[in-house]
Amino acid sequence: MSELLRRFRFALCYLALAALCALGMASRHGPAELGFAPKLVLDLTLPLERMVTLPISELRGVWDDYAALVGVRVENERLRDRLARAEEENHQYREAILSSERFQKLSGFRAQREVPMVPANVIHQDLSPWFQSLIIDQGAAAGIRPGMPVITDSGVVGLIAGTTPGASKVLLVVDPQSRIDAYVERTRARGTVRGTSGHDCDFDYVLRQENIEEGDLLLTSGLGTTYPKGLVVGRVASVDRKTSGLFLGAKVVPAVDFSRLEEVFVILEQRQIPGEDAFSAADEGLWPAPPGGAVAPAPAKTAKADPAAKPAAKPASKPLPKLVKPPPQPAPDRNQDPPE
Amino acid sequence: MRALLRLLGIGLALLLAQAMARLALPAVLQPDLVLVYALALGLRGGGVQGLVLAFGAGYVEDVLCGGPPGLFALLCGTACATTRLLDRALYLRAAAPWAGYVGAYALANFALFGAAQRMFAPDSAVPWGELLRRAPGAAITSALCAAPLLHLFRRLLVEADRDAWPVLATQSPRGRP
Repeated sequence: MSELLRRFRFALCYLALAALCALGMASRHGPAELGFAPKLVLDLTLPLERMVTLPISELRGVWDDYAALVGVRVENERLRDRLARAEEENHQYREAILSSERFQKLSGFRAQREVPMVPANVIHQDLSPWFQSLIIDQGAAAGIRPGMPVITDSGVVGLIAGTTPGASKVLLVVDPQSRIDAYVERTRARGTVRGTSGHDCDFDYVLRQENIEEGDLLLTSGLGTTYPKGLVVGRVASVDRKTSGLFLGAKVVPAVDFSRLEEVFVILEQRQIPGEDAFSAADEGLWPAPPGGAVAPAPAKTAKADPAAKPAAKPASKPLPKLVKPPPQPAPDRNQDPPE
Repeated sequence: MRALLRLLGIGLALLLAQAMARLALPAVLQPDLVLVYALALGLRGGGVQGLVLAFGAGYVEDVLCGGPPGLFALLCGTACATTRLLDRALYLRAAAPWAGYVGAYALANFALFGAAQRMFAPDSAVPWGELLRRAPGAAITSALCAAPLLHLFRRLLVEADRDAWPVLATQSPRGRP
């Protein structure tokens, strides 16, 4: 028996280790705290790797700052022209925002809140070209938990996939495992932004009849438990209507340049989906309360509806009994002052 | 023990070199140096400790990547076991056949990678077209990087096997292979 074991020990060892790997892959269920062994590996390898890759990053910086500036004059002219147009547009937008703010104050549903955030430095990029993740120098000790969103001033970076006390792994938007529910700012067409492991993403599940164009801005919809509403995801790079089926195909260029990412912010807020027993249809006022009056309708719950959402298309012939909807807002008109 | 430590050091160096290559080279030309390491550990003399090291190298890559945990460990272990099977048949003792073998296996590894992803993490599988686009360049650069390392690995593997615990060694105490 021992001779047999000795003879086939390589094969047995391979099978045992392969089974462990398969178990590891099969038992993966979303973001989670990293175990002892991954923490140990990260703690041992990250300082070394940082020491080695830092000079290369510096060299790349020198190249980008000096050697790669050929043709910058032509680009400069073009950018000046664009800047002038953008400033004009910006002026118009500012006017529109001021009007919008006045309307929001009047109707009383402006929800302004401070979101707690932690700044962090990027200390490692993914080794494999197939996955898109990075590691930041803030972890559980700073209050970061798996599933929290990571952003920059440009837009969404990704979400926390795992943490150690001093570091966190961030799954980027362009990773094939990433899915973000997003909508087009211009037309409110909704879909799912899915990473492709390359430099761009796919915009899936957009109905064929939706009006989306190249250059449209995509924002997070706020559905789900990860991303708050209104964060910039990217811009539509191309639209393919030749696909068969219900949906069109679109490519999205992320708003963030991940190759030059150095600092990010982690939003220290995890959104919760209430459990099934947290509310009922009667709470929502969708149906009349039972004759016994056991459940009282929640007062003006829907009054917190998003101001950017489209107004209801048409009231039903028989009005819903308890549903409190804000009245459809008139389009902000800059030439007209809001009613006092 | 010293030879084993040197093998570990080479593995760490290749891992760091891969991190540097990720910064310096375009995606279609990035060599898979961890795979080269795992393949080399399957050469004659690697034995069970080579297999364990190959799985370990893959595990480290798993930790440093965003993929499902165990994916690269499985691929590296399989690469090591395959080399062990084919070492004598393919005469992997000269740089040229070794480089050819590494290039061919790197191509096969792309297929294994795609298949394993579809089996264990189908939602996040990289499309076959993308794999095909990147495979040739990566295979060529991996082969080029592997060639100069062959003799170093052969020497260290034999030394490590001589020093290994009996249960891990491929040679009997009398030196019979």
